Amino acid sequence: MSAIDMPVAGPAVVPARRTGFWRNLWTVLRRKPSRMAGAAIVALFVLSGVVGPWLYPDNLPRDNDLILAGPSLAHPLGTDFEGTDVLALLITGSRYVLVAAVVAALIMVVIGTGFGLYSGYRRGFSDSVLMRITDFVLTIPGFPLLLVLSTVWKFSSALQMGLVLGITGWGGLARSVRSATLSLRERGFVEAARGLGMPTRRIVTAELLPNIAPYVAMNLLIGVTTFIYSQVGLFYLGVLPFKSNNWGVMIQLAVTNGVTQTGDGLGYLMAPLVAILLLTLGVVLLVDALDEVFNPRLREE
Amino acid sequence: MVAFLRRLAGHLVRGVVMIWIVTTFTFVLIRLMPGDPVQTQYEKLLSQGVSPDQARAQVQVTYGFVPHGSWLSQYGDYLWKLLHLDLGTSVSAQGVSVTTEVMGALKWTVGLVLAGTLLSFVIGVLLGVVAAMRREGHVGSVLSLLGSLLHGIPQYVMALVLVTFLTVKVKAFSTGPVDGLLDPGFNGPYLASIVSHAVLPAVAFALSSFGGYLLTMKSSVVSVLGDDFILASELRGIKPSIVFRYVARNALLPLFTVLALSLGFMIGGAVFIEHAFNYSGMGAMLIDSIGNRDYSEMSGAFLLITVAVILANIAADLLYSVVDPRVRREGAGA
Amino acid sequence: MTAATETSDVDGQRVGPAVRISDLTVAYRTAAGELPAVSGVDLDLAPGSITGLVGESGSGKSTLALALLNAVQRPGRITGGAIQIDGLGDVVSLSGKQLRQARGGEIGYVFQAAQNSLNPLKTVGKQLLDLGRSHQVTDRRALVRAATELLSAMGLSAERVLDAYQHELSGGMRQRVGIMLALVLNAHLLVLDEPTTALDMISQANILSIIRRVHAERGLTTLVVTHDIGVVAEVADRVAVMYGGRLVEQGPTTEVLRDPKHPYTKGLINAIPRLTGDPEAAQPLPGRPPTLGTIPTRGCVFRERCARYAADPLPECDTDDPAPREVAPGRLVACHPVTAQVEEQQ
Repeated sequence: MSAIDMPVAGPAVVPARRTGFWRNLWTVLRRKPSRMAGAAIVALFVLSGVVGPWLYPDNLPRDNDLILAGPSLAHPLGTDFEGTDVLALLITGSRYVLVAAVVAALIMVVIGTGFGLYSGYRRGFSDSVLMRITDFVLTIPGFPLLLVLSTVWKFSSALQMGLVLGITGWGGLARSVRSATLSLRERGFVEAARGLGMPTRRIVTAELLPNIAPYVAMNLLIGVTTFIYSQVGLFYLGVLPFKSNNWGVMIQLAVTNGVTQTGDGLGYLMAPLVAILLLTLGVVLLVDALDEVFNPRLREE
Repeated sequence: MVAFLRRLAGHLVRGVVMIWIVTTFTFVLIRLMPGDPVQTQYEKLLSQGVSPDQARAQVQVTYGFVPHGSWLSQYGDYLWKLLHLDLGTSVSAQGVSVTTEVMGALKWTVGLVLAGTLLSFVIGVLLGVVAAMRREGHVGSVLSLLGSLLHGIPQYVMALVLVTFLTVKVKAFSTGPVDGLLDPGFNGPYLASIVSHAVLPAVAFALSSFGGYLLTMKSSVVSVLGDDFILASELRGIKPSIVFRYVARNALLPLFTVLALSLGFMIGGAVFIEHAFNYSGMGAMLIDSIGNRDYSEMSGAFLLITVAVILANIAADLLYSVVDPRVRREGAGA
Repeated sequence: MTAATETSDVDGQRVGPAVRISDLTVAYRTAAGELPAVSGVDLDLAPGSITGLVGESGSGKSTLALALLNAVQRPGRITGGAIQIDGLGDVVSLSGKQLRQARGGEIGYVFQAAQNSLNPLKTVGKQLLDLGRSHQVTDRRALVRAATELLSAMGLSAERVLDAYQHELSGGMRQRVGIMLALVLNAHLLVLDEPTTALDMISQANILSIIRRVHAERGLTTLVVTHDIGVVAEVADRVAVMYGGRLVEQGPTTEVLRDPKHPYTKGLINAIPRLTGDPEAAQPLPGRPPTLGTIPTRGCVFRERCARYAADPLPECDTDDPAPREVAPGRLVACHPVTAQVEEQQ
C-alpha cells in the first residue's frame, strides 16, 4: 500500500499536561516576546529582593551635600532627604516587601485552599458555614480593615505584616477554589474515584489538587501583588511605625518632605512608584502567559 | 413580583445579620485599642496648657463615653446608640457628634465617587468596545494592556503622580478642602470652589478605575460576539444597527452589577485619593481619626464604609434580577 | 429591481426555486495555510424538492449550508465556484444590502434546537418586529398575522410564544420558532441545519412531519443537513452524501438507501442497527472521519477507511480525486471502481 499524501498540519492546540507544565510555560513564553519580558521583570524583582540587600552595607551612606538631588552618574535615581542613594533604597527596600508578600501568600494559600476544597468537597452544611465565613471576610473592605487593625496592633515587621495580610486576604482564593472543586465534582472525577474505593486523602491529593493548581497559581500571583500594594499603602499613609526601609516608607518620607509640593527629589518619590508600575506590567504579562498555559485556545489564524 | 419581594427579604435579612456581625466586630476592636482614650484626651489638654482640674472637668463633660461597667452593658449601650444612629461623639473635635462629622464627610465622598465612577464607566465601556472590535490588531492589544496595567496598579500611584505633576508643574487646580471663608450654598464662588477642588480627585479616581471597566466590557463584547444568536440574526438579515444594539445591550448586562458593586467599595476605596489631594471625605476622615486616636470617629467611619459595601452588594443583586429576564422570571419555565 | 426567488411552476403548483451549486470550494485559513472544507462540489436542488445532505461531523455539510447564504464565517471563505438560485443569481457574488435582504427574505435558515439562536434578552415577538424592520416590512399587523398562522400550523399558541423569552421555551418550541422566523417573510428556499439533533425522539418525529407539511403547504425548496440517515429516509426526496468536503454520492432517497453504490454510503447504512435480525450485523465504519488538517490532498479522500480499497485498490485511487459520474438516471457516484464498472457495461 502506497503512502498516503497528507499535508503537514501540526496540532492546533498545545495541551497543558500536568507533567509538562514547565515545558509548556517555556513554549508559551517564547511565542510572544512581551511575555518573556514580563517573566524577566518578575524574576528581576524576586532577584533584587533576595540578593539586593547583600550588595549594600547595612547602613547606607548619607551625603548631606546632596539632599533630594536629581539623577546623576553617582546616583542614577537621585537621593533622598538625607542624601542616601535612591536606587540603593529601592533595592534594599524590596526585600521587606517581598518577604511580607510571600508570608501572606503562604497563609492565603493554606487557608483559602483548605476552606475552598473542604467546602466544595463536602458541600451541604459545612459548605454553607464555611461560605458564610468567607463572605464575611470578603465583604469587609480590606484596606479600611487594615487601617483599623493598625491601631490595635502595630504589625510593622515583615512577618507580622505578612500574617495580617494573609489572614485578611484569603477570601477570594477560597471562593475560587470552591467553585473549581464544585465543577470538578460535576465532571465525575470524584464519583469515579470514590467508586474505585480511593481513600479521601488520595482523592484530594491525586485528583483534586493538581486540577485546581492553575486557579491557585493565578490567584497567588495576583494576590502577591495586592499584598505588596497594601503594605506600601499602609506605610505611605504613615499608620505604622517603621524600623527598616521599604517602598512605602520611601513614598511616605518623600511626601512629608515636600516632594509633591516642590518637586525637588522627584526621583525619591517616583522610584518606588515606577517600580510598582513595572512590577504590575511584569505580572500582567506573566498572567497572560499562565492563562494560555492553563486554557489553551484554538489558534484561529 | 412575589419572587422579587422574597429575594429582597432574603437579602435584607442577610444584610442585617452582616451589619450586626460587623458592628460587634467593630465594638470588640475598639475595646482592644491600646491606651485609655480618656487618658489620652486628658494628656492632650494638659499639653495644650490647660490646668489639670479644668482638663478633667472638660473631658468628663464633653467626652461622654467613659468606659465603665461590664463589657456586656457597654455592648448593650453601644448597640442601643447605634439603633438611634448615634455614633458617639468625636474625641478630636470636642463634643461634635460623630454622626454629624460622618454625614459631612460622606457627602464629599459620595460626590467624588459618583462623578469619578460615572466618568470611568463611560471611558472604560467605550474603550472596551473598541478593544473588542479591534482585538486582532495593535489598537486592541495596546488598549487591553493599558486596561490591565491601570487596573492593576494601586490607587495611590495615579493619585501621587497627578498630584505632583499637576500641582507642581501646572498650577491650575487647588488642593485641600473647600475654602472655609466662602459662604456655603448655591452661589458662584462656592460652586466654583467645589468644582476646582473636586475635579482633580475625580479625574484621578476615574483614571485609576476605568481599566477594570475596559477589561470587563471587552471580554463581555467578545463573548457576546461569539454567541449563536448574533450569527443567527445576521443569517435572518437583521439590520446591522439592530445587531449592534443586540451586542451592546447583552454585553452591558454584566457590567451593571460590576458598577453597583464598585460604587459600594469606593466609599471606602477612595482613601488614597482623598488623602493625596487633601480632600475631606470619608477616607481622609478615617485616616485622620487614626492619626488623632479618635476611636469613636474611626469606628463610625469604618462602620459606615462597611455598611455601604453590604448595601451595594444587595443593590447589585437586586438590580441584576430586575435587568436580566432570565433571572427575573425564575420558575416560569417551559 | 429587487432580487427575489422566483417560484417555479411544477404541475400547476407554485414551488420553490431551483438551486445549482457548481464547483464550490470553501477554504479555511489555518496555521498550515488555507485548507478546503468543501472541495469542488456540484449539487442541484430541483424546484420543490426536499434534499437531505448527509455526512459525519467535519464532512463540510454545515459549511456548505452556510455557503448557500454566502455566510461562511471567518477564517473561512468561498474560494471558488458559484451558487445559482433562481431569481437571485449567483449568491456568491451578492453582498451588502442585497445579500442581507436575500437572507430571511428569500432564503430561510434554521439553526439546531440546541443552539441559542434567539436574543436571550428580548421576547420572540420583539425579535419578530426587528426582523420586519430589517426587511422594510410596513404592515406590522400582517407580519404578526403571518407569524401566528405559521406558529399555529406547527401547533404553537402565538399568544404564548410571542411574549416569551428564549429560556422559557423548550427545545422543540425553539426549533419551531426558528422555522417560523425563517419562513415568515415568505422565503421559498429553506435550509435546516441538524433540525433533529438535541431533540428527544417524539419531538424529532414531530419536527420532521412539520417540515414535510410546511414544505408542501408553502411550496418550498428545502435542504436538510443532518448526520442522521434516518432523518433523510423520513423526509427527503433526494439524498446527497458528503465526505471530507466532497460529494460522494447523490440520488433519489429510496434508491440510494436500497442500493448504495459508494463504499462510504454502504458503510453508513451497514452501521445502522435494525430492529429485527442479528444485532451483530450492524458494523461501524473503521477509523474516524478526517479533520481539516488530515484530509488527504491527493487521491480519493476515503480510501483509508474504504473496504473496497483494502481488498482491491486501483492505481487511480491513490492519484486522482474521483469525479462524480452518472451511474443511473439521477444518480451520481464519485468512486473509481464504480465508474470503471459502469464504463465496462457501456
